[in-house]
Formats: sequence, structure tokens, C-alpha cells
Amino acid sequence: MSYNTLKELNVEVLSVSVDSVFVHKIWNETELSKMVSGGISFPMVSDQGGKIGTLYDVYDEDAGVDIRGRFIIDPDGKVQAAEVLTPPVGRNPQELIRQIKAYQYHLKTGEVMPSGWTEGGTTLKPSPELAGKVWEVWKP
Amino acid sequence: MLVGKQAPDFTSNAFYNGEIKSINLGDYKGSWVVLCFYPGDFTFV
Repeated sequence: MSYNTLKELNVEVLSVSVDSVFVHKIWNETELSKMVSGGISFPMVSDQGGKIGTLYDVYDEDAGVDIRGRFIIDPDGKVQAAEVLTPPVGRNPQELIRQIKAYQYHLKTGEVMPSGWTEGGTTLKPSPELAGKVWEVWKP
Repeated sequence: MLVGKQAPDFTSNAFYNGEIKSINLGDYKGSWVVLCFYPGDFTFV
């Protein structure tokens, strides 16, 4: 399950919706715990009034809900990546995990991940010598 | 666009491990955080 992978990567998850904490509790008890063994093990934040959603520019005032915004925040508190989807389509946890692995690898090594990179794939070391010669070491 | 900027701080109540807890994003400094907004509980996707 993706959440375990995120735990292994030392990533804390916070989910946010405009529902009250009591609705979160009942949703977890009556439905989510039947989908995920043990139920949800990360904080389910309540954003009644949409204040947090407004700060992150994902609050839809007309519908009164937070749309699907996903933000990767680094250990310094900086937003490194964002993805925003309208309600009908769900996210892809594998893409989230790929992005987190790439950012963690970058933080550790300073290397950069070219388009389509997945774990174990070719990375690039930016330097004056590499300018104009990416084609020698990496092909899309 | 927030990408590349400091994540806006917030404090709010959360349901966590069977309890109601106050959560402050700033307390998560030092960790990677995924913040996921979604339209609502008991929806389908």
C-alpha cells in the first residue's frame, strides 16, 4: 500500500477537507476502515470554511469544497511540487512517490532527474562540462 | 503559484488516531510532508 511506502520514505501525510473532525471520524469508522486495514493512520484535518484551502488556492467558493490539490513540502517547509485536479479524477500515488524519491535524491546528491526518471534511472550532474553534452549521457 | 515558496502555515483540528487533535503545519519542519486536499468525505474517488 502506498502509505507504507511514504512512511518508509519518512513522509508525513496530512489530508484536508471541509468536513468536520466528527465526519472524518465516522467516515474512517464506517467506510475507510473497510478499505484500509486498521483505518487511516494519518491526521485528517478539518478545514471548515475553507481557510486552509484558500491559503493554497484550492478552495472552490461556489461549491464550498477544497478541490484535489496535492503539495510536496520539503523539510525546510518549502513547497517543491503541486498537482491540482478537479473532483472527478483521482490521483496517482505512484507518481507522488516517484516525485518524492526524485526530490529526496536531489537533496542528498545535488543531481537532477531528467524527464521520465524513475528510481535507479540515469541522473545528471549539472556542470559547465555537461552543457550541450546531455545527449552523450542521456536520451529520452 | 506556491511551488518554490514557503508553504503557508496553518493550525486546525484533525481526527488522528481516534482523537481530536490540533495540528500545526510548522510542527512538521524537518520532515517531508504531503498535504492532500480533497472535496469531501463519503465521496467516490
